[in-house]
This record gives sequence, C-alpha cells and structure tokens, in this order.
Amino acid sequence: MQPTIKHRQSLSVWSFGLLLFAASTAIAASPEHQERHFAVKGHPVVVLQNIVNGRIEVKSSKNQEVVVSSTSIADKVAIDMEQVGDRIDISASSLSSSQAPHEVEANFQLTVPEQTELQLKTQTGLIYVEQVTGDMKLESVAGDVHLKEVSGYIIVKTTGGSLVCTLCSGKLEFTSISGGAQVLQPSLTNVNLMTTSGNILYDGDFIRTGLYTMRSGKGLVEVRFSGNDSFDLNARTNLGVVDNQAAAFLKPDTHASRHTASRYAHSLFGTVGQGLAKVELSSYSGTIRILKRN
Amino acid sequence: MQCKELESLLESEGLEQLDKDARLHLATCGACQGLVADLDSIISAAKALPAEVAPPDRIWISLRAQLETEGLIKEPAEVVGQTSVWESIVAWMKPRTFATAAAAALVLAAAIFLARVPQRSAPEVAKNPPVLEAPRVSQPATPTPATSSAEVHTNVATQKQSGIKTGELAPSPSESASFTLNQAELDVPDMQLAGNSQVDASLRQNLRTLNAFIAECEQHLKQNPQDELAREYLNTAYQQKADLLAAMMESGRGDN
Repeated sequence: MQPTIKHRQSLSVWSFGLLLFAASTAIAASPEHQERHFAVKGHPVVVLQNIVNGRIEVKSSKNQEVVVSSTSIADKVAIDMEQVGDRIDISASSLSSSQAPHEVEANFQLTVPEQTELQLKTQTGLIYVEQVTGDMKLESVAGDVHLKEVSGYIIVKTTGGSLVCTLCSGKLEFTSISGGAQVLQPSLTNVNLMTTSGNILYDGDFIRTGLYTMRSGKGLVEVRFSGNDSFDLNARTNLGVVDNQAAAFLKPDTHASRHTASRYAHSLFGTVGQGLAKVELSSYSGTIRILKRN
Repeated sequence: MQCKELESLLESEGLEQLDKDARLHLATCGACQGLVADLDSIISAAKALPAEVAPPDRIWISLRAQLETEGLIKEPAEVVGQTSVWESIVAWMKPRTFATAAAAALVLAAAIFLARVPQRSAPEVAKNPPVLEAPRVSQPATPTPATSSAEVHTNVATQKQSGIKTGELAPSPSESASFTLNQAELDVPDMQLAGNSQVDASLRQNLRTLNAFIAECEQHLKQNPQDELAREYLNTAYQQKADLLAAMMESGRGDN
C-alpha cells in the first residue's frame, strides 16, 4: 500500500510541475498589450518605425491626444515610445534572432487627432489609415497600404505591397516594384503612380487643372472616367496595346491635334470635355485601358 | 586593501601589474577572485574574435570604375598595390561603414547617371508621330534576366572585357550604371537581409523582377536606341534597383 501512495504523491508533484511549466511558457509567449496616451496641442507628427512584422492601423478622433496601443510578444520585440513636443516617436525592433515571422510581430493601433502628420514604416503588415488629414509618408516592403478618406500630400512607397486608396484627396505619389495601385473615388489634384510590374486602376473623377501620371512597366493601366470629366489624354505603350473602350467620348486632341479612332493602338491622344486636366498614361509592355463609367 | 581599491588598480594597471598587497587581498577575497575570473574570460573571448574582414576587391573595382567614369579620378592606375588617393580612400573606409558608403555611392551614381541622360525636350515631344503609332519593334524583346549570382558575374566579366575597367573604351552612362549596380549586387546573395524570411523573400523576388525588366529594356534599346519611352523605363528601373540594393545592404548591415 505504501509504495502506491508514494507513487501517487510523486505523480501529483510531477503533474503540478508540468502544469506550472506549461502555464509559465504560455504567459511568456502570449502577446503583451500596452496602451499609452500622449496629450498634444497642435497638429501632431507621429513617426512609427516598425522594424518587425505587423499591422499599423491609424484612425482619428476629436480628442487632442495620440493613443498608441500595441500588441507584441514581450521577450521578442522591444517597443519604444517617446514624445517631444507634438512629435511622437514610436519604434519596434526585434530582440529575437528567430526567422519565424509570427514570432517577431508588433501590431499597432493609433488614434490621432484628425489633423495629424504621419510617417509610418513597416515590413510585412498592412498599413491602414482612415479619416486623417495631413501629409503622410507610408513605407512598406511586402505589406499593403489601405487608405480611406485621407487628405494631404500622400507619399506611399512599397517594394511589393499594393495600395488601395479610397476617397482620398490632395496629392498622391506611389512608387513600387511589384505592387499595384487602386485609386477609387478620389478627389486628388495631383497623382503620380509608378510601378514596375504591378497593375494600376484609377476609378474616379479628374479634377480640373489636375495632373495625373500613371506608369506601369509590365502591368495593366486602367482608367475609368465619368462623362462630366474634362481632360487631355496621352496614352503610350511600347510593346503593349492601348485598349480604347471610350472612343465615343474622346474627341481629337484639341491642343495637339492628335487622335486615333482605332480601338487598339500603341498610343492614343484625345480630349474629353474641354481638356482641363492632364492625364498621362504609359506602360512599357502592359495594356492601357480607357473606359467610361456607367 | 579593499575591494574597490583592487578594482581601480585592475582598471588602471591590468592583471599583470598587481602589487603584493593586491595579490594578498585577491588570494583571500572571493568577490575579487570572481571579478578577475570574469576579466580573464572577457580577454580570452576578445582574443578569439576574428580580425575585421576587408571588403572584397570587386567593391573597390566597382567604385573606382564609377569614379573614373564620372571623371572624379583620372589616373589609370591599378587598384591594388599602389599608394594613391584611391588607397587613402580605401584606408579611410572601414568595413563597418562600408555598407552605408556603398549604398550612398550607388544612389550618387544613379543620380549622376540620370542627370546625364538627356531629358525629352518640348520639340522632341512635338516631333512624336501623331495619330496611330506603328509598333516600334518588329520582334518583342526576349527577357534575359540576370537573376543568379553566376549570371551577374558573367555580366560583369563581359563588361570588364569590353573595356570598362581599363578605360580603353568609354562606357555609356547606361553601361556604367548597369555595371555599378551589378557589382553591388554581387554581395547580396550571401547576405542575410532583414532577419525575416518573408521580407527577405520579397526583397529578393523584387530584385529578380527588376533584373528581368532591366534586361528586357536593355535588349529592346539595343535594337531601338531612339526609343525614349523605353529609356525612361530603364532609367526608372535603374533608380529602383539602386534604392532596393541600398535597402538590402542596410538590412544586411543592421543584422550584423
């Protein structure tokens, strides 16, 4: 009888130890959440350098403060935050030499005043900005960039990530190697989109006196305009074709007297309305498609 | 003697120069014995560290070729084995700062190259064929991407043979930029980049994309040297490649 009791006691001790070990491991590996509030006076500048993976989400509020919420694994990622006047510097760097992407991840959720300047940089996660007015520079290697109802001088630079810009206004610059760009329902006065192999879609109005340049080395460049638009169009491709699906709306170029009636060509010059805006589309070997929205 | 006195003595004189009092204290004090043991292990570890590795010669060759091309240095001297301004530049550059310097040189080279390429003027735009343009090439260019290190080596060797290194023939700005970028790319295959497999894969994939596109444009321009649109795309691709390589070097340096 005695050995059985001792055996049970021993088992209990071992079980408890294992449980304790498992619990401590789970605590150590579980994501750590932290939130900090920074009171600001004017239009703040938020600089976030995420050297590891992770999503950055920025939304606005009426409050004069910047709220930074972050989630990361404590012993894998170091997060530093600093306020200097109205500038908030945030950085996340890896403490781990691990190659597993999920282990070196820091996700950020920022709430900022409506008028805020942003400089955000990440590696693979999504950058999402909504309802913020102010100049912004957003950089990513492989992560996508989604913007909704943002306004200002917007610079987006990615290596492979794509841009989706919905209801944006102001000035937009996008450069990427393989990422694509979708600009939907914009009120942008100046657009410069450049990608080497990604596709470009511009679906919206051209503001009068606006300048719009869209270039893709190998991808599709598609423009969908409305019947009320007024712009001069210059579309050129080396090895691809210009697919003109709006021939009925394109008059001969009133400023340079160049126009083609053919649906497929290597270049197309024409005018819609009075030709007040200037639209330049080009592709080295991709297709350029022009069509009117219904 | 007290522990603090021994500590300051160790700092100023080192282990070898301890006097009799210090040695007596050390023989009886466990804490100080621990301190000395730690110092010993640090010194041993430091001695075991490898000496700083000099950057490969090809980097200096690349930089030299670029500087010669740009007319910043004129003397056609050999890179190795001469006391020159060049060597003083080499001596000034430490391996630790190399990646930054190389990245800066790349961007500078690309900037100079782009500044030299004639921009499309208004009269040229006016001369553009109106209405429907005929295709500019009879055959589409076949992409010949230089994606592997071996292929890059081949490119570099070919360009060396064509006189870029010796200065027998003046390279065009395009050849010069291509040469410099290919040289810089030689280090990338062995480099651990961002320490993140997903980011590394993306960087390398995009480098391959750019190389394929550059090869396609270069091939096309050989057949159609007057094609301004193709040249614009090639210039942009060079600039993007310079930026990408600089980012990759920066990532690799950050890990080291």
